[in-house]
Amino acid sequence: MDLLFIFEWLDTSMLADFSKSYAGLFAIVQTFHIASMVMLVGMILLGDLRMLNVLLREVPSQKVIDNTGKWIKIALVTIVLSGVYEASAIAMKLYFNTFYWAKMAGLAMGLAYMYLIRNPIYRRAELSGLEPGGAIAAEAVQPWVVKMVAVTSLVIWFTVSASGRWIGFS
Amino acid sequence: MLNEWLYQFASWLDTFESSTNLHESLYMYGWVESTHVLTLTVFLGMLLVIDLRLLGVGFKNIPASTLVDRLDKPMMLGFIVMIISGVLLFYAIPVRSTQSIFFRVKVILLIAAGINAMIIRRMTRQRPLTWDYDPSPPKKVRVGAGLSLTFWLCVIAAGRMMAYDWWDCHKEMPHFMYWAAGCVNELAAFEQ
Repeated sequence: MDLLFIFEWLDTSMLADFSKSYAGLFAIVQTFHIASMVMLVGMILLGDLRMLNVLLREVPSQKVIDNTGKWIKIALVTIVLSGVYEASAIAMKLYFNTFYWAKMAGLAMGLAYMYLIRNPIYRRAELSGLEPGGAIAAEAVQPWVVKMVAVTSLVIWFTVSASGRWIGFS
Repeated sequence: MLNEWLYQFASWLDTFESSTNLHESLYMYGWVESTHVLTLTVFLGMLLVIDLRLLGVGFKNIPASTLVDRLDKPMMLGFIVMIISGVLLFYAIPVRSTQSIFFRVKVILLIAAGINAMIIRRMTRQRPLTWDYDPSPPKKVRVGAGLSLTFWLCVIAAGRMMAYDWWDCHKEMPHFMYWAAGCVNELAAFEQ
C-alpha cells in the first residue's frame, strides 16, 4: 500500500506550517526525541541485561521488568509525538528516505516483539522458577530461549536507534 | 588569548590528513557518530535509572545502593566509548567545532555534570546508606539527581544544536557572540 498520500497530507498540514516556521522549537523537539529514545533503550537494556543474568542478579527479574514498564510507555508516547512533529517538517524528504523506512520497520518490529514475544516469555520465565524466588510452574522456559529473546531484543532496538541516526546522513 | 590558542590548536589538528579523511569518509564518520549516539543511550540509560531512583520517582522497591553499585560498570563503559567517539567527531571537524557556541556550551555543561556526579557519588558511596530502602531519598540527593538529569538534557540539546549554523562565524551576529564562539578572524576584523 502506497502511503504517499499520508506524507503529502502531513506536508501541507497546519502542523507542518508550524514546525517549518520555528527552527529553534524543532531543535528542542529533536532533543526530547533523543532523550526519550535514551529512556526507551535504557529501560529495555536494563531488562534484557537482567534476563541475560549480566546485571542486577540479586534483584528478582520480575521486579526489574515491572519497574521499567511505566518508563517504556512514557518514552514511547514521547517518541511518537515528537517524531510526528519532526516528520511534519520534512515529510516528503522522509518518504523517499530508505533509512526512515528501515527505522519505521524496526520500530514496528520492536513494538510487536516486545509486547507479543519478549514480555510474555519473560513473564513465563519468572513463573517457571528460572529466576531466584520464582514459583515453579508447569510450563518451563529454557534459559537459552530467554537469553535468545534478550539478545534479539537488544539487536532490534539498537538497529532502530542507529537507523534513526543514519536518516540524517542519507 | 584563550580563543586564539584554541583556534591555533584546532587549525593544527585540521592539518592532519586523517582528520580530513574521517570527515570526508563515506561511512566511517557515520559509524563513529552512530557509536556516539548508541553509547549515549547505554551511558545515559543507566544514569537515568539511577537518577530516577535517587529522585524517588522510579525503582522505589529496589535498594538505591544496589542500583548505584551494579549499574556503575555498564554506565562507565558507555561513558568511555562515548567520550572516545566524541573526541573522534571533534577531530574530524576541529575548527568548526571549536568555533561552535553550542560545542562550548556543551563542554561547560559536561564539566558541570561531572562535578555534580562527583558530589552525588560522595553522597551515595557511603556504606551503609541509612536511606537505602526509603522510597524517597534525602532532599540533597534528590536535588543532585534532578540537576544531573537537567544537565544531561541540556548536553543532548547542545549536541543536537551543533548541527545548525545559526551562530557560525560566517554569520552576521553581535560582537559578544563572535567572542563567545571564538571567531578570532571576525573579531580581528572588528578591531581594524
